[in-house]
Amino acid sequence: MSYSRRLFMKSALASAMTGATLSTLGPSLQQFQAQAASASGYKALVCMFFFGGLDTHDILIPYDASSYSAYGEIRQGLIARYAAQDGNSRQRAQLLPLAPENAADFAGRQFALPPELPGIHSLFQSGRAAVVANVGPLAEPTTRAQFEGRSVTLPARLFSHNDQQSTWMANKPEGAQFGWGGRFADAILRSGSAQIPEFTAITTQGNQVFLTGEHVLPFPVDLNGAGRFDLVEGFRDNPFGQDGNRTYERLRAHFLESGNRSNLIERDMGLALAGALEKNEAFNSAVENAPTLQTDFPGSGIARQLQAVAQTIATRNTLLMNRQIFFVGRGGFDTHSNQAGNLPRIMAEFDAAVTAFQAALEEIGAADDVTLFTASDFGRTLAVNDDGTDHGWGSHHFVIGNAVRGNRIYGDVPPPAFDHDYDSGHGRLIPTLSVDQFAGALGRWFGLNDSELLTALPGLAAFDPRVSAASFI
Amino acid sequence: MVGRTLPGLARAVILLAGLGLSACSGGGGGSDSPAPLPPPPSPPSQPGPSGEGTFETEAETARFLTQATFGPTSAEINALTGTSASAWFRREVSKRASHNLQYVLEYTMSERGRTSNGVNVSYEGNQSPTFSFWVNAIEADDQLRQRMAFALSEILVISHIESVELFDEPVSVADYQDILIDNAFGNFRELLEDVTYSPAMAEWLTYLRNKKADERTGRMPDENYAREVMQLFTIGLVELNQDGTERTDAAGEHIPTYSNEDVVGLARVFTGLSVANERFDKGFHEAPLASLYSRLQIWPEHHSQREKAFLGTVIPENTPAEQSIATALDTLYEHPNLPPFFSRQLIQRFITSDPSPAYVERVADAFASGRYTLPDGSSVGDGRRGSLEATLAAVLFDSEARSETARNRSDFGKIREPILRFTGWARAFDAGDIRPEDSPLLWNTGSAQALAQAPYKSPSVFNFYRPGYVAPGTESGAAGMTVPELQIVNASSTAGYTNFMSYFALAYPRNAREPLEATSFIPDYREERQLAGSPAALVDHLSLVLAYDSLLPATRTNIVEAIDEVPLTSQYDPDYDGELMRIGLATLMVMTSPEYLVQR
Repeated sequence: MSYSRRLFMKSALASAMTGATLSTLGPSLQQFQAQAASASGYKALVCMFFFGGLDTHDILIPYDASSYSAYGEIRQGLIARYAAQDGNSRQRAQLLPLAPENAADFAGRQFALPPELPGIHSLFQSGRAAVVANVGPLAEPTTRAQFEGRSVTLPARLFSHNDQQSTWMANKPEGAQFGWGGRFADAILRSGSAQIPEFTAITTQGNQVFLTGEHVLPFPVDLNGAGRFDLVEGFRDNPFGQDGNRTYERLRAHFLESGNRSNLIERDMGLALAGALEKNEAFNSAVENAPTLQTDFPGSGIARQLQAVAQTIATRNTLLMNRQIFFVGRGGFDTHSNQAGNLPRIMAEFDAAVTAFQAALEEIGAADDVTLFTASDFGRTLAVNDDGTDHGWGSHHFVIGNAVRGNRIYGDVPPPAFDHDYDSGHGRLIPTLSVDQFAGALGRWFGLNDSELLTALPGLAAFDPRVSAASFI
Repeated sequence: MVGRTLPGLARAVILLAGLGLSACSGGGGGSDSPAPLPPPPSPPSQPGPSGEGTFETEAETARFLTQATFGPTSAEINALTGTSASAWFRREVSKRASHNLQYVLEYTMSERGRTSNGVNVSYEGNQSPTFSFWVNAIEADDQLRQRMAFALSEILVISHIESVELFDEPVSVADYQDILIDNAFGNFRELLEDVTYSPAMAEWLTYLRNKKADERTGRMPDENYAREVMQLFTIGLVELNQDGTERTDAAGEHIPTYSNEDVVGLARVFTGLSVANERFDKGFHEAPLASLYSRLQIWPEHHSQREKAFLGTVIPENTPAEQSIATALDTLYEHPNLPPFFSRQLIQRFITSDPSPAYVERVADAFASGRYTLPDGSSVGDGRRGSLEATLAAVLFDSEARSETARNRSDFGKIREPILRFTGWARAFDAGDIRPEDSPLLWNTGSAQALAQAPYKSPSVFNFYRPGYVAPGTESGAAGMTVPELQIVNASSTAGYTNFMSYFALAYPRNAREPLEATSFIPDYREERQLAGSPAALVDHLSLVLAYDSLLPATRTNIVEAIDEVPLTSQYDPDYDGELMRIGLATLMVMTSPEYLVQR
C-alpha cells in the first residue's frame, strides 16, 4: 500500500541535525544530560514478555524415554495435532535435547527444547543461556496440600490474565503502580548513579507497569527512535520567514504549556504532550548520529523490537547511561485453541530474534553487560482441551546473556503427571521458585544490595533471598 | 520510512522554504507567563426532570452530542439548540438501525474485496468490517445507536486483528457488529445470548467446536469463554456493592466472585457449539458462508452430560446444551454484580472515567429496574432488568453528566478515545468521499502515524485499556482515579495521533494530480474559509464545533498567534493554499489541546 498522498520526505526539510555533535544538540538534551554525572560501566536488563500465558510444558519437554512417554500419554490430543503437521515437531526424535552441567540434579530425568528453538539451544549449550524452572507468583512457599487446605496466603486473582501479568511485573494484581523494573531503576538512581532518568526505562510495548518506578516511567521507542511530531518539525526552519519564527514558536508553546490547567485528566494529557515533545526531541537528537548496526535482524515484530533495543544500547555512551531496563513483548500465547499451529511459529520468531540480538550485542561490545529474561502471565495446564491448553500458574523461563551461568537448569521441574505436590489441578503448576526470587537474582546482578532488593521486591522477605542470589547469574 | 514523512503541510512548507517569501511580520517572541487557570464556573444548571435546558445553548448542544454520538455537526448544533434533549433521545432510539453485514457481503464479493484469482477474500476484503464501521460512525443517521454499539464493543470485546483467525472471516465480524447494533437499546440478557451464540465470539474465545471432557484421554473442556464471560462481560472478579465499590469481608479483604472450580464447572456449559457445518470437527474456514453469520448450532453428542456447578447454580446431569446455556446466562444476568459492573463501564465509555459511586448506583438502579425518567418526565425502558435503553438514558441524563458543578470538578471527564477524535473531526467538517478503503491509515495500525486504536481491533479481550486502570506516575493516578484511556497515552501515541490528524486535517481538495488516496475524507472547510482572514473568529468557530466552546484563553491566544502570520497567498506558487494552511493548523492545534483531548 502507498502512503504517498501528499507526503514528502522529511529529509527535504532536514535541518541542522546533520553532523551535529553533542555540544550542538538542542538545549533539551543538554538539560537532560546536565543531570547526569559520572557513568561507569554499563548493565542492562531486557524483559521479554510472552503475553497470554506461554505453555512452557510445550517448551521444556520431558525427554528421557519414560518421562516422554508419560508426557505423550497425558498430552495425546495435542501431540496428535503436532503429528498431523509437517515436521511432527513434538516427536521425540525431533526434539533438541539439553545436556546441562547439573544433569545429576534430576536423577536420570532429561529435558529437551522443541525444534523451533535452535538458537536458544545453542546459547544454552555454549553456556550463555539457562532455564529457570517453575517460576511464578507466590506469597510464601506453597505445596498442593497447603493450596487445597487454604492454609497459606496465595497470590490474589490467580489464573486471570491481566492480574497475573501485573503480579509478575509488579507483585500485585491490576492497579499496581510500581513494577520491579522501575524499582530497580529507582534504586540505581538513588544510589547516586546519576544518569538520565527519562531514558532509563525503555519500552517497545507501550505503557507497562513493570517499568514504572517513583523516578522512572516507560519511554517508548521503535526502530525509528522516539515519536516525531511532524507538524512541529515542519515549521522548524521558518518556512514563512517570520520574525522570531513565530508560528513555530507558538506551536511549541502550545504543546509545552499544555499541562497548565486545573482538571487532573487535562493536566495529565497536557503533561504527556509536553513531555513527549521534549523527551522525543532530545532522544532523537542523540540517536540520530549513532552508528547503524551491521547485524541483520529478521523482520518479525519481536526482532524489530529487539533491534530497537540494540540500537538504543548502542547509544549508551552518547546518552551517558550506565543502567537501563528494557521491556519487549509479543502476544498470541493464549493458546486455548490451535496451539500446535500457533506456538511453534511465534517461538521460532523469538528464537531468530534473540539470536540476532545476541549477535548485535557482540557487535557493539555489550554482550557481557546485557541480560535478557523471559516472563509470561502464567504457565498452562498440562492437561489439554483437545487442541489447546488452559490457564495455569508456574512456568519455565530463559535467562540469556554472557553474564548468565548457562548450560544449567535451575530449580525444580515437576514431573509430567497429575496430583503431585506441586499440582494445583490439571497440571497447573504451583511454583517452586517465586518471581521475587527470580527477580532478586537479576537485581543483584544489576547492582542492588540486600536492602535495596528488599525495597524493590517486598515479597522477597517471605523467601530466602540467597536461594536465588547464589544461582543463575 | 513511513514514519519519516510529512503530510500536506510539508508541501506548502517546502514550496515556500528558501523562496524568500516573507509574510506579514509582526510581534516578537512569546510571553513566558503561565497560562491562567480556567475561568470560574458558570452557574449550575438545574438537573432533573425540570432541567430541559440541555440544548439551551449551542455549546451545551455540542457538548451533549460529543458525549452521546460520534461528534456534532454544525447542522445538528443549529437544528437542535433550543429543542428538547429528551425528545432527541426518543427519536434516536426509534431510528432505523444501520448495519454492516450487507456492506461486508458486497465488499467481499467486489473486485477489490477478492484476490486476483477471484476465489478468496482479499486482504482488503478482510478489512471491510472496519470500512463499514467508519462509514456508519461518520455518516449514519442513527448516531446514538452506533455510538452505543461502539461502547459495547469495548466491553464485550472481539477483535479481528490480523494475527487471529477471525480476521479471515469478515462476515462473522460484521454479524457481531450488527448484534451489538441490534441490541443497543434492547436487553442485556438477549445481548449476552446473541453474543454467546455468535460465530465471532465463539471463534475469538475458542469455544467453537469445544468438546466435552474425555476421561480416557484426560481432555477437558476449553475454559476460555467460561472465565472471560464472568471476568470481563458480566460480573468481574470481586463482589461489588450496587454503587460499584468493592465489598469486603470481616477481615477487610475483597470477596472473589468465583473460584477456579466455578470456571471448570461453567466450562462444561459451553461445549458442543459450532457453526452449521458438515461435521463438528470441520474447520471454521470450510463452513458454508451463511453459517458464519448465523446463530451457532448445537451438536448434542459433544455437549457435556455431567453436572455443571458454578456460582451456586447446579445444572443436573444430562441437561441439554440449550437449557444449560440458558441457565448459565440467567445466572450471570441475575448476579448482583452485573448492574454496577456494567453500568460503571458504560459511564466510562460516554461521560467520565472515575464516576462517583452515587452516579454508578443511579445508573445501576436504572439497569436493575429497567426504567428511567427523562428530563421531560417521560419514561424509557420496558421495566425489565437489563434494559439498555434505560441504562443509557441514565448515563447521559444524570446530574453528574449534565451539571456545571460536576463538570468543573478537577476529577471529571474522560479522554476522548482516538477513534472518537477522528470521527469528531470528520463530522465537524462534513468530510466527503468517506471511503476508508482508500485511507489505509484508518485500518493499518502499525505506522508512526497510527491512531493507537482501531474499531474491533483491540490487542486482546481486555480491550485497549482497562476500566480499572490507574495511570502510574500521573496526577490522576496519585489521586487514585481510574482513567482507562491513559493506558494508551505515551510519548509515542501522542506523536502518532498528531501525525495522523495532520494527514487528514491538511488534506487538499480533490486534485487530479493526486493519487487515489487523496480523494477520500476530504473536509468541507467552506464555512471556515470565510473566516480564514480573521484568525480570532476562525479559532472561536473551531472551538465551538470541535470542543463545545471550551478552549482556555491561553490556548486560544497561542492558536490565533500561530496562524495570524501564516500567509494567505504566495506570489511564487499559485498552488499554495494559505486558507487551508491556516484552517488546518488551527484545527490541529485545537485537536491537540487538552480541552479537546479531554471531554468534560
